[in-house]
Amino acid sequence: MSTAAAQPAPTNQPAPVSGARLVVEALERQGVKHVFGYPGGAIMPVYDALTGSSLKHILVRHEQAAALAADAYGRVTGKPGVCLATSGPGATNLVTGIANAFLDSVPMVAITGQVASPLMGTDAFQEVDIFGITLPIVKHSFLIRNTADIPRIFAEAFRIATSGRPGPVLIDLPKDMSVIATSPEPFELPVEEEDELDEGAIAVANAFIASAETPVLYFGGGVPIARAERALREFAKRSGIPAVATLKALGAIPTDEPNFLGMLGMHGTRAANMAIDNCDLLICVGARFDDRATGKLDSFAPRAKVIHIDGDPAEIGKLRVPEVAIAGDLSAILDSLTTKPSIAEWARQCRAQKEMWAARYDAPGAGVYAPALLKELSEAAGDKAIFTCDVGQHQMWVAQHCRFVRPQAHLTSGGLGTMGYGVPAGMGALLAEPDATVITISGDGSFMMNVQELATLRRYRLPLKIVLIDNSQLGMVRQWQELFFEENFSEIDLSDNPDFSEVAHAFGIEAFTIDHRSQVSDAIERLLGTSGPILMHVRIDPRENVWPLVPPNSSNVQMMEKGW
Amino acid sequence: MTERLTIDFTPAEGAVVRMIGLVERRGYFVRGLSMNEEADSASLIMEVEPRDASRRVQVVAAQLGRLVDVKQVSHSGTGTVA
Repeated sequence: MSTAAAQPAPTNQPAPVSGARLVVEALERQGVKHVFGYPGGAIMPVYDALTGSSLKHILVRHEQAAALAADAYGRVTGKPGVCLATSGPGATNLVTGIANAFLDSVPMVAITGQVASPLMGTDAFQEVDIFGITLPIVKHSFLIRNTADIPRIFAEAFRIATSGRPGPVLIDLPKDMSVIATSPEPFELPVEEEDELDEGAIAVANAFIASAETPVLYFGGGVPIARAERALREFAKRSGIPAVATLKALGAIPTDEPNFLGMLGMHGTRAANMAIDNCDLLICVGARFDDRATGKLDSFAPRAKVIHIDGDPAEIGKLRVPEVAIAGDLSAILDSLTTKPSIAEWARQCRAQKEMWAARYDAPGAGVYAPALLKELSEAAGDKAIFTCDVGQHQMWVAQHCRFVRPQAHLTSGGLGTMGYGVPAGMGALLAEPDATVITISGDGSFMMNVQELATLRRYRLPLKIVLIDNSQLGMVRQWQELFFEENFSEIDLSDNPDFSEVAHAFGIEAFTIDHRSQVSDAIERLLGTSGPILMHVRIDPRENVWPLVPPNSSNVQMMEKGW
Repeated sequence: MTERLTIDFTPAEGAVVRMIGLVERRGYFVRGLSMNEEADSASLIMEVEPRDASRRVQVVAAQLGRLVDVKQVSHSGTGTVA
C-alpha cells in the first residue's frame, strides 16, 4: 500500500491577483500591443506589473506626447490607443491629448494613477480630481472603487471607446486598488443593439436625389470613423454627384477623382465652395456643419435642401435642421441610396471650375515655395505614406497640396487644433503601421511644443521623417494680424529659434537645412531614402500666406485669393 | 422659456455631474433640479432655459442621450428622444 502526500482540494477559485496585474492582463486580453506612458508614484504598481508582460511600453518624455501618440495609433488602427500616466501632473499633462481625441472622435483608453482611496479628497501629494477635470472631454470615465471590478471596467472601457461614435475613455486607478489582491468575478458585457434602417427616410432621400439638378455630396470625419469609405466611393461613383470633403475626411474619396472638388471651407478650394453655394441638394455624410467648413452658417448652401446622414443622431439638426435625417450605419445607408440624378451638365461645370481654380505652383522667386514642396513630396512618397501634421499654415498647405487615397494617411488635429500633435502622432502612426513611410509636417511654432520627443524617436529608432517648415514666426497668427488686425503684429516673432538642425543633431537625429527651391528635389530624395529618423529643416519666406481664405464671419464664396 | 428634461439613468459615479455639466456647457441655464433613485435606476428632472434663441432642446436631449449612463431622455414638447 502506498501513501500519497496530502494535496489541497481542487478549487475553481483562481488565485488572488493584484489590481496592477489585473490591469496588465485586461490590456493583454484586449489585444493591446503598445502602451504610451510615463511612470510616477501612484502608477508604480502598474509599471511593476508591466515587466514580463506582452505589452510594449513606449516611454515618452512628456505625458502629452503619450496621449497624442495614442490618439494617432487609434486613428490608424481603429482600435483604442492606450496611454498611461501617474496622478496629479502626469494626469493633467494627458488632458490636451484626451481633448484632442474627444474633439476628433478617436478611440482611446487613458489610464491614470490616483492617490490611495483613503487620501482622496485630502489634497494629498500629486492628488488631482482627473475624473472631474476630464468630464467634458471624455466619452466616459471610470474611477476604480473595487479591485475586483478592474477586468469588467477595462472591458467596458474598450467597448465604449470604439462603439458608436468613438472617443476617449478615462480610467482613474487609486494606488491601493492596484496593490490589493483579489479574485475577480466573471462578468458579461451588454450586447449592442443594431439600429434598423429608416426605410421611410431613405425613400424620401432617394426621391430627393433623383429630382436634384445641382446636388453636392459633403462628407466628413464620420466616414473614416465608420470605416465607410467603400460605400461612400461607390455611392459617389454610382450617382455621379460632385463631392467635397472636410479636413478630417480627406482621402475618403481619392484626391484625384474627377468629381472630387477638394476641401471646402475657410481654406478650401473655390470649386468646392462654389458648388456648395450653387447646390439645390446637399447630401451631408458624417459631417457636422463645423464653422471652419461652413463659414457664415446662414449663407452656407442657402438654396439647398439637406439630407443629413450620420452615425451619431445627436449631430443631426445641431446646427442646420435637415429636410431628411437618417441616423445609423453609414455604409448600410449609403448602399441603399440607389437613385441616379440627371446631372451631366452640372458635374461638367463643377469639373471645369476645379480645373479653372486649380492651385498654381509657379510662385516667383528662388526661395522654397512650401505648397510646391509638399506637392512634390506627396507624389514622391506615394500612396502608402502617412502624413501627420502640426497646426498652422503648414497644416492647411498639407490639406491643400498633398494627395490622399485613404483618410488614415492624413492625421491632423482637426477639432482641437493642437500645436505639438505632429511628432507624437508620427510616433503613434509608425507603431501602428510599421511598414508605412510616416512623414510629419511641422512648423517652427508647433515643433517646439513637443521637441523633447526627438529623444523618444532616437530611443526606439522610429524612422520618422520630419519636414519642419520654418518661417520664424507664428505664421497663421501673423497672417490673420496682417489681414484682419491692421498689420498690428503682436507676439508672433520667433526669429530667435534655435538652429533646428543642431537641435536634432543633439538628440542624435540626422538633419539638414535647405532654403532654396533648387535644393528641394535632392532634399526629398534624401529624406525618403534615409532609413532612420531624419529632420529636414526648410526655411521659407515669412510673408507667405495660406490662400485661398474665407474671412471670418463671411460666406464661403467671399474668398480671398493669392495675388501673383 | 423654460423646458423640462426628464432623464432616466443608471446611478453610476459622476453620472449626475456629467449630465448637469453637459446641459450647462451646451448653452443652457439650469433653473431647477429634482432626482429620484431606486436600486439600479434613477431619474433626474431638470428645468432648463436656453442662453440664446438658437438653442433647440431636442439637440441637448440627444446629446444627453448619448451619455453612457443615460437610458432615456424626454422633454416637454416632443417626448422621448433616447
